[in-house]
Amino acid sequence: MRDRSRSRMSQTQAAAILLAPFLITYTLFLIYPFFRGVWISLHDWNLLAVAFNPDATEFVGFRNYERVMWGRNIEWGLFAAPFWQITGLIGLALSVILRRVDRLSRFNAIALGLASLLLVFLPGFHPGEGGRWYDRRFWPTVGNTLVFVGLAVPGVTISALVLAAAMNRETRAMGALRTLFFLSQVLSVTVVTLIWQIMFSPRQGLIANITETFGGTPINWLTDQQFAMAAIVIATIWWSLGIAMILFLAGLQDISQDIYEAAALDNARGVRAFWYVTLPNLKRTITLVVILQIILHFQVFGQSHLMTQGGPNDTTQVLVRYIYQTGFRDSELGRASAMAVFLFVIMGTFSVIQFIVGREKS
Amino acid sequence: MKHVLFTAIAAATMATGASAQEISLARFFGACEDAGTDTTVTTGEACIIQSIINAADAELDGITITTLPTDWGNYYDQLKAAYAGGTPPDIHVMHRHRVPEFAGLGALREISGDLEAAGIDPADWSPAALDAVSYEGGIYGVPMDVHANLWHVNMEIMEAAGLVEDGRPILPTSPEELLEHAQMVREATGQDYLAADFAQFPLGVRLVLALIWQQGSNVFDEDGTATIDTEEARNAIAAVTQLFDAGLANPQLNYADSQQAFLNGEAAILVNGTWVVDLYTAEAEQEGTGLNSYYVADFPTIFETGATWADSHIWAIPASLEGEEYQAALRVLAFINDHNIDWARTGHIAIRESVITSDAYASLPHRSEYAGTAELAQDMPSSDRYGAIQDVLNRELQAIWLTGKPVADALADAEIDVQDLLDR
Repeated sequence: MRDRSRSRMSQTQAAAILLAPFLITYTLFLIYPFFRGVWISLHDWNLLAVAFNPDATEFVGFRNYERVMWGRNIEWGLFAAPFWQITGLIGLALSVILRRVDRLSRFNAIALGLASLLLVFLPGFHPGEGGRWYDRRFWPTVGNTLVFVGLAVPGVTISALVLAAAMNRETRAMGALRTLFFLSQVLSVTVVTLIWQIMFSPRQGLIANITETFGGTPINWLTDQQFAMAAIVIATIWWSLGIAMILFLAGLQDISQDIYEAAALDNARGVRAFWYVTLPNLKRTITLVVILQIILHFQVFGQSHLMTQGGPNDTTQVLVRYIYQTGFRDSELGRASAMAVFLFVIMGTFSVIQFIVGREKS
Repeated sequence: MKHVLFTAIAAATMATGASAQEISLARFFGACEDAGTDTTVTTGEACIIQSIINAADAELDGITITTLPTDWGNYYDQLKAAYAGGTPPDIHVMHRHRVPEFAGLGALREISGDLEAAGIDPADWSPAALDAVSYEGGIYGVPMDVHANLWHVNMEIMEAAGLVEDGRPILPTSPEELLEHAQMVREATGQDYLAADFAQFPLGVRLVLALIWQQGSNVFDEDGTATIDTEEARNAIAAVTQLFDAGLANPQLNYADSQQAFLNGEAAILVNGTWVVDLYTAEAEQEGTGLNSYYVADFPTIFETGATWADSHIWAIPASLEGEEYQAALRVLAFINDHNIDWARTGHIAIRESVITSDAYASLPHRSEYAGTAELAQDMPSSDRYGAIQDVLNRELQAIWLTGKPVADALADAEIDVQDLLDR
């Protein structure tokens, strides 16, 4: 009896001891810095000044948030940004109608409805007569980040899916190809951006050389307003294809061969089999890949910082680069932290969505 | 046996610790792997400075110097992070324009009282150099150069366009002449007249700033009022954009591409700094390049009074450095100060009067061709927001020539943003 209780005690103790390293590290390097960041965001906090005089901070409440996200005489109007707001209204109508005729699950209807509502609501804010945003660059930067995510995520997902489907065979050549495609993933962002800067160079670049062979004029990818974002998206797709591809391959190998054989009897082969068998069975993997990619690509920094320096005219300026510049170039840690908290909220939202979707029974 | 080994290692560590002072050094200029210790033969900023550092490491008794790995683009971010973390390098290079920001917060050590003892004579520094390291009556560093924007000229193209007289290029004296010359070059050779990095680094900003100063105006004043949306700024920008509009210059080239265009013989003029004179001289001496006849000209006066953008590289010591380490750091700075002539080989303007008046300096390649630049040197008013202000100007000017943003909108936006920075 006594022995048993002793062993039970030691089991709890063992659990505590085994968990301790993780908990301590997690608290020290994630929980504490996070709350510290929130705390700093409520202060006027100069990075350098604080280093020489720890009392050089001033509590300013939510002023940093106001200075970053708000402005003077900000008004809301239903047709301030007609394109986005009308798209949102259409989405809202669709979610109601499709739910009524039962073409959409309740969960999907709510998700579409919420997204549409945000689309109607958020772009409606604009400076009124004589007003202005306090920080003219913040919302366009958020917009650029969204564009980047909006291009990179489908780009990575679709190309990884196609590649995975094409290479889902047990031959030696396919094994070699899989390794090749995964190789880019292990490179660091500096190497990737260096490779692509050379590729995109209008003078020495591979792309320019190909264009010239066919008699075209080379494009200044990185300094042309229309191509700069596309350029960093292309580099990103090439870089982050690997992990998505591996996830899809794992998903593909889970699909039983019997289903394909059954489908083949119904004359579904090739593209039809892909559409009617592979895709539905990969639904959960696709959701996982998409959400992981969204969270990952919201944090884009290196590609924009190293390839285009946010230019031309801020068209590739992204949120993390803006946070970095505000914190280190301008030494305004308080303001930078406020932006970082905003980014956390966005990524947190997607994490919650992933959590909900992951628990949903198919 | 093990015991003996440990004792030996411990003894060795203590011996070196006692005799050698470790100095950590941070600099930009790029990396040079095999710079050697001969300071008189290296070419280019990176290799010349590294050879001087290597020589100091070899020749100064009891001092070993470690050059920290840094990156050009993020140098000041790294430096700030090091200061904020309480581990700044023992000596580091910086620009004159950053002195108000760093010295203003008490990051840099005031060294005026210790210079003479270390063998540095501030009386030998040119007035501009002394000014570069001075802040509120104190001296916060040792200057290394004055660097400025120049016009690098391909004489073959200019000759073909009939723009050479007495072996010197004929440069424009008005915006109208600028366009005229550009057309002459195009008709005679089919090449662009002018190339520069208008697309990434702020070289286009420095060009436009010079043209604004040439009209007696500036982008903000000492009281902290932004004055960007002005007639002078419009004139300056129009002088540049007329070349883009007529297709006589390409605004989309970045630093590497614009330099390559010039070296390939695809542009008559490259607007770039003093830091490349020795590199281009070496390039022009090689067979089979597009640049065969190279000339370096002062930035021409296109409006009323001469002016060109200029700055200084200076070496500073953190305020936290004390005792023997501080003395060792000063000795390294004295060594760099002694090698001012070697650094001037890059093309930079020397800062010591004794060097400037020497024959060795006068006989450096092309030196006489841009002797007027020291007089033209100018910069924005000092501000601890210099870097951010320059970025605003760069963004808005690029918006004009890369994305077609109306000049009036760009200038109005720039003025608001710069005023915000000055008010913060």
